[in-house]
Amino acid sequence: MSSIENFLKNAVTPWMGPKGEYSNIVMSTRVRLARNLKGFRFPLDFSREEAEEVEQKVAAALGGMEDFSHIPMESVPAIQRQALVEKHLISPQLADPERPGSVILSGDESVSIMVNEEDHIRIQVIYPGLHLMEAFDRANDIDNRLEEALPYAFDGDFGYITSCPTNTGTGLRASVMLHLPALSITSNMTRIAQAVARLGMTVRGSYGEGSDALGNVYQVSNQMTLGKSERDILMDLRDLTERLIEQEERARRALREHSPMKLEDRVWRSYGILTNARVLATDEAANRLSDVRLGIDMGIIPDVDLSVLNELMIFMQPAFLQQYAGETLQPGERDVFRAQLIRERIGMGRQSGGAED
Amino acid sequence: MICDNCQERPASVVVTQSKNGKTEERHLCDVCAAHFQPFQGDFGGDPLGIQQFLQNWFAGPGTFQKTAQPQVASGPECPNCGLTFRRFIERGKFGCAECYGAFRKELPEVFNKVQGGHTKHEGKVPDSYSGRIAAERKIKDLRRQMKEAINQEEFERAAQLRDEVRELERSLEEGGGQDVVD
Repeated sequence: MSSIENFLKNAVTPWMGPKGEYSNIVMSTRVRLARNLKGFRFPLDFSREEAEEVEQKVAAALGGMEDFSHIPMESVPAIQRQALVEKHLISPQLADPERPGSVILSGDESVSIMVNEEDHIRIQVIYPGLHLMEAFDRANDIDNRLEEALPYAFDGDFGYITSCPTNTGTGLRASVMLHLPALSITSNMTRIAQAVARLGMTVRGSYGEGSDALGNVYQVSNQMTLGKSERDILMDLRDLTERLIEQEERARRALREHSPMKLEDRVWRSYGILTNARVLATDEAANRLSDVRLGIDMGIIPDVDLSVLNELMIFMQPAFLQQYAGETLQPGERDVFRAQLIRERIGMGRQSGGAED
Repeated sequence: MICDNCQERPASVVVTQSKNGKTEERHLCDVCAAHFQPFQGDFGGDPLGIQQFLQNWFAGPGTFQKTAQPQVASGPECPNCGLTFRRFIERGKFGCAECYGAFRKELPEVFNKVQGGHTKHEGKVPDSYSGRIAAERKIKDLRRQMKEAINQEEFERAAQLRDEVRELERSLEEGGGQDVVD
């Protein structure tokens, strides 16, 4: 097995796959529930002893669940912590080496329960494609299970009590990761971000900040957690997501009708760079990957699977690159390894994709 | 070289960031580098910029001068963790679950600002929570069903529902509710 196959075997998780509704545009769906226990201060203020007790209680409550592993952060080397962050399985805050905390991960990595992050408990579920209800149901099941064993902090007026008032109530943050290249190319994203904000939801670059989202990947999420039921929050986000998908598809049709040659040229140029470049910085790699992903989905580039691009968006980040390289890399060296990883992976995707036809 | 961020620990990581066409290089220690996440959408963070919303709480609307810090009382204090309301506003985070009780009078205004005008929970209620909320909702739901039954002239069903409502209400007055629900 080549080094890249071995690396991928250990790094790919199901939510990066090409399955799921609208998976050509929706890369993944994420749902998280914030919960806290009565009788312990929140992690921002609590003592080591409180932290340990919370941790033991949560671990014990999930004890009977098969296929979950409990990983204390202090037992994880810095580079692997970073890789967990890059995979969205833990937050940067939990990766902080100076704070206590742990993550309880399901075998397929679709469920990660963060213990002692900003709140005592954060249940997170990631699914590929658009699956808000399914992801919520899974998180809700785990929540019910934990609730049976743990004294949750809950208030009749304010609902589930959280460290930050922006999470109070349902404690639910649902988000959808969307690849919107055509809307970005046609300079529509600023207008859309403003419209979305008026609906009480947020759009932001999933990699990077603001409107110039790296790789044209955006994250849309609910802003309010109070005054609406979980189901209403999820339905509103689903409606909005479907409208964004519609607009993206319309923008793609317009690109194909009005400037087909420019579009093809852009896609193939980016393909040429990704399959030949020897040095690739993050920004350039992200933008080229976005073009190629668009090209594959529009049928311009045959024989490459979309999931290859989903994976590469994750694996071209620093910690994964260093795991792939098996050593610590300086930024200049990373660009070389990034180019190599992308070349090899696309090459691999083509062989396997071509063989199936 | 010392870390550009904390100015304390030795720098061990070089971070290059491009923003609006300008490239910036920063030397960070591993602790600060762990916080620096150009790739991570701030999923857990607060999407509204709560500090911005809350900062002018004590200064009053339209006051932006930092120099004019009036001597304002700290407001109520949480008897459990000792966090004052003023400190809560400054940092935008509660200290413990008891803070909600301690700041109960002030909180609707806070939530009004950070939760788009909403101040009351409408979602899931844990079974373990004293059955009161669940019972109140159930009563509301039963009354709605009762109305429907009457509109459809299903009087037998309406009477049945009315009895259920009465029983729930009686048990609520007695301070219970738990065992009647479900």
